[in-house]
Formats: sequence, C-alpha cells, structure tokens
Amino acid sequence: MILLSAPVDYLPIAMMFVVAMGFVLSTMVATHLLGPNRKSKVKLETFECGIEPQGNSRMPFSIKYFLIAILFVLFDVEVIFMYPWAVNFRSMGVTGLLEMFLFMGILVLGLIYIIRKGALKWE
Amino acid sequence: MNALIVIACLGIAAMMSEVLGFKKLLLPLVAIGLISVVGLFVMDWNTSIRYYHDMLYFDNYAIAFSAMVTVLTALWLIMSKEYFISTTSKAEHAALILFCLTGAIVMISYSDLSMLFIGIEILSISLYVLAASNKHDLRSNEAGLKYFLMGAFATGFLLFGITLIYGASGSFNLQEIANYLSKNSEHLPMFVYAGVLLMLVGLLFKVSAAPFHFWAPDVYEGSPTLVTAFMSTIVKTAAFAAFYRLFATCFSDLSGWWGETLAIVAALTMLVGNVLAVMQQNFKRMLAYSSIAHAGYMLMAIVAMNHISAGAIFLYTSAYSIASLGAFACLHALGANDNEKIINLRGFIAKQPFNAGLLCLAMLSLAGIPPLAGFFAKYYLFYGVIQSGYLWLVLVAVLSSLIGVYYYFRVIYTMFLPREEEDGVLPKISGGHKILLTIVAILSLLMGIFPGILQGIL
Repeated sequence: MILLSAPVDYLPIAMMFVVAMGFVLSTMVATHLLGPNRKSKVKLETFECGIEPQGNSRMPFSIKYFLIAILFVLFDVEVIFMYPWAVNFRSMGVTGLLEMFLFMGILVLGLIYIIRKGALKWE
Repeated sequence: MNALIVIACLGIAAMMSEVLGFKKLLLPLVAIGLISVVGLFVMDWNTSIRYYHDMLYFDNYAIAFSAMVTVLTALWLIMSKEYFISTTSKAEHAALILFCLTGAIVMISYSDLSMLFIGIEILSISLYVLAASNKHDLRSNEAGLKYFLMGAFATGFLLFGITLIYGASGSFNLQEIANYLSKNSEHLPMFVYAGVLLMLVGLLFKVSAAPFHFWAPDVYEGSPTLVTAFMSTIVKTAAFAAFYRLFATCFSDLSGWWGETLAIVAALTMLVGNVLAVMQQNFKRMLAYSSIAHAGYMLMAIVAMNHISAGAIFLYTSAYSIASLGAFACLHALGANDNEKIINLRGFIAKQPFNAGLLCLAMLSLAGIPPLAGFFAKYYLFYGVIQSGYLWLVLVAVLSSLIGVYYYFRVIYTMFLPREEEDGVLPKISGGHKILLTIVAILSLLMGIFPGILQGIL
C-alpha cells in the first residue's frame, strides 16, 4: 500500500481544527458577554428533571442494574457486526451466511448461559 | 489449527457444562480433549500451513510450543482436579483456563500483529478473572486489580508500537514487515525505532522483565496457588514463544540496534530476580521472584538470536515450567491453611521422605544442577549467547545462577530441619499432587539425560 500525500493535503483537517476550536471559544465568550448574569441557589443545584434532589448520590444500589447494563452493552455491540455483513451479504455468498450463523450460534450459547445462570432474574 | 478449534470448543463446553447439567463429565471430557489436541499437533508436524489469509502460521516452531503448553496444561490439570469435581467450584474456572490456552496458542502461532494482540488479550482477560477468582480473599482481589491495571497499561504500549510499525511498513504481516525493514534498512524513519521500542516495552511488561517486574510478586502471591502455577509456567512459556517469534522473524535485521538494550534488560532481570528471591520468607513469593529471574535467562535466547537459540529457549521453557509445576504442587498441597512460609517445610524429609525427595529434584532442576533438565537448558542457552559474542552477559548469568543456588538450597536445607511444635501438622501429599510430583521428577531426569531430544527438534 503506497500513500502519496503531501503535507498540504492535511490543510482541510487543520482548518477543521481551527473552526471547531473557534466555534467553542466564540460561543463561550459570546454567551458570557451577552447573557445577563444572575446567580441563585436554585440554579446551582443538581438538575433532577425538575424534581427537588434529595439524599446523597454516593449510596449502594443493587448490582443487578450494573449486570443488566453490562449485558445489554455486550449484546448491543455484537449486533454492530451484522451491519457490515448485511451490506456485503450478496458478495460473501453462502460462506458468509454460514460464518454469520456460527457467530450468532456462539452468541446464542452465551445468551443461554446467562439466562440459565440466572443473571436476568430480577427477584 | 484443528487443535485450536477443539480447545476453543472445549472451553465453550466447559462453560455450558454447569447450566446444561453435565458437570460430572467435564474432567474426563477435558482430559480426553487435551490428549487428542496433542495428537492433532503431532499430526500437523512438518506441514507448515498458513491459515486465514496468513493470520496464523503453524510451522514446526509454533506446533512444538503449542504442544508444549497443551502438555503443561494437562500436567497442571492433575493437581487441579478440585477445579473440576468439587461441588463448591464453578465450571467457569475450567472454561477460563481453556480460553487461556486458546489465547496462548493464538499468540504462539501468529503471523500477523493483529493476531498477536488478540492472542495476548484472550489470554490476559481470562487471567485477570482467574487471578481474582478467590472472591473472599482480599489479596486475590488486589492481585486481580493490579494485574488488570498493569496488563492494560502494557497492552497500550504494545498497541502504540504496532501502530507505528504499521504506519511505516503498511502491513501487519510479520513477513512483509521483515521485507520492508530489510529493503529500507538504510533510511528507516525514526518512528520505526520508536515502534520497536514500544513493542519491546509492552512485551517486557508481559514477561515481567526487570524494570517492569514490580507487579509480578504481588500478583503471583495474591492469586490462588493453582492460578499462580498456571501463570508462571504456561503463560510464561507462551509469552516467550511470542516474544521470540516476533523478534526472530520481524526485527532480526535491527538486532544491532535493540540487542544491547535487551542484553542489559536480561542482565538486570536475572540479578534483580535472584537477589530479591534470597530475602523472601514466603515460598510463593520466592517462586515469584525466581520466575522473574528465569525470565532473564530466557531473554538471553532472544539476545543471542542464532541457529540454536530457538531450540535452547524451547528446552529452557519446558525444563523451567515442568520443575516449577512440581514446586507449586508441593506448595499447594502443603499450604492448605494459607501457610506459605518456607519454614513450614521443616521436617518434611523425616515425615514424607519420598515426596521430599521429589521436591528436592524439582528444586535442583530449577537451580541448574547437572544431571537434571535445568542444567542442560542453561548450558545450551549460555552456549548460544557466547556464540553471539555476549560473553559479559554469560558471566552475569553464571553469577546470578550462583545466587539462585543459595535460595533453592535453602528450601532443601529447611526440609531437613526438625519440625517444631509451633509448625503444626504437615499435610500429607497424596493423590494428584503426588502423581504430578512423580511425573515432574521423571521428566526432569529424562530431559537432563537426553536434552538433545527437545533441543534438537527446532
């Protein structure tokens, strides 16, 4: 693989950087200068969708939330592999189909495993 | 290649055995599986096939090391029956061990830097969990966390290195990188050297060589003894196989550049490992430092890099791993109540002379005393290094071996002391541990008497 590129080809990227940084800086400066500056106790409180916040957020909560979330992420990420496969489905032919079946089979084994282990039981 | 698939499937079967209710069949299944895997490797001998667009390359080097780690795992299994049959243990331990083995074989037989990375990760991630598998022991938790943080850090270095090498050569393939390096040896960009250096750092972290060894004693001490035995034998063998393969096929043209660095690291590793092992009162921690020191000797084979060094590193890793397994079997059998002190061995020779004799043989092999495997492993290694012109390195190695003899003999000396009242009852070594000790002693003797068999096949 040969890449023929001169430093000048990277100019658009440099401009992109300048624009991105400039946008952030100018909006921050502009809001600071234009907006009225009224500080109040209510404004500094944690945003809880309009409900008054109560208690400490550093408290133990059930590991089940964590477990469900991590399992969701796991299976969610695996599904991403199906998109490139679906796009190239025709060109990969039967081999690609079988390979994907194998992959999904292993995934289903994992699902059976976590269900039988009781990881999804809430009570 | 088929062997790799069989081991991966065995791992999945082990994982499912508990939920599908065939846990009782697990041990025979795994035993038969591992034996047939060794058979499959033997059948592949001399074939040298490349798989999956040259991602994996099973040449004789890869097959020899893969068969060796499989045999070591089978030996390890003999003392680890409790992982498979006791009611309290989980089938996950067995599954993780088999996934570790899968990773080890991938990282031994890689022919592509991405496969090296995947192999190391399959191996490491299973090991992080295993290191912390003794959930109610604080030290085990600490070991798992430390190992994970350090391992992730080292993997970062490795990946940076791979990226820079890819940036220069435009390929992950070992052969193509080697071709690129030899073709452009006159005007290599600076970042190629940085890439080699970063990969070197990443791998030195993984094999716990001297400036990067600080995690090893804590992790080895904290992990459950069986996992430590696995880490310091099978994992170390696989890591060195990968290390040697990378530098022999890929970066051998640059050896003038990294040779001196690696020689100094090797010398430092041997000295640090051996000197610190002398001061340890804890048997397990002493074995951890001894494992660091042995990593230094094995690094010498990579420094030497000539026609006999592949055979020498193969003989050395097998001799070291087999003797270590024996030492860990004793430690595991005797240290039932977290009693891992060396003085716990007092009176061993009077109470159980046969077992103590076998442990003696394992210790002598680790120290490198003539009729045993450790001596000839060191002999071939040192010979190769002298041939490559690093005489000072061999002098350092001999000196540090002498320090090593002291603390291995201290273990033997302690066995002869009379047992005191405060020591309590010495547990009886029987069953799997005794069988393993016997096999270890026989293999160490056989490999010491006929060292050419293992050394000559590569």
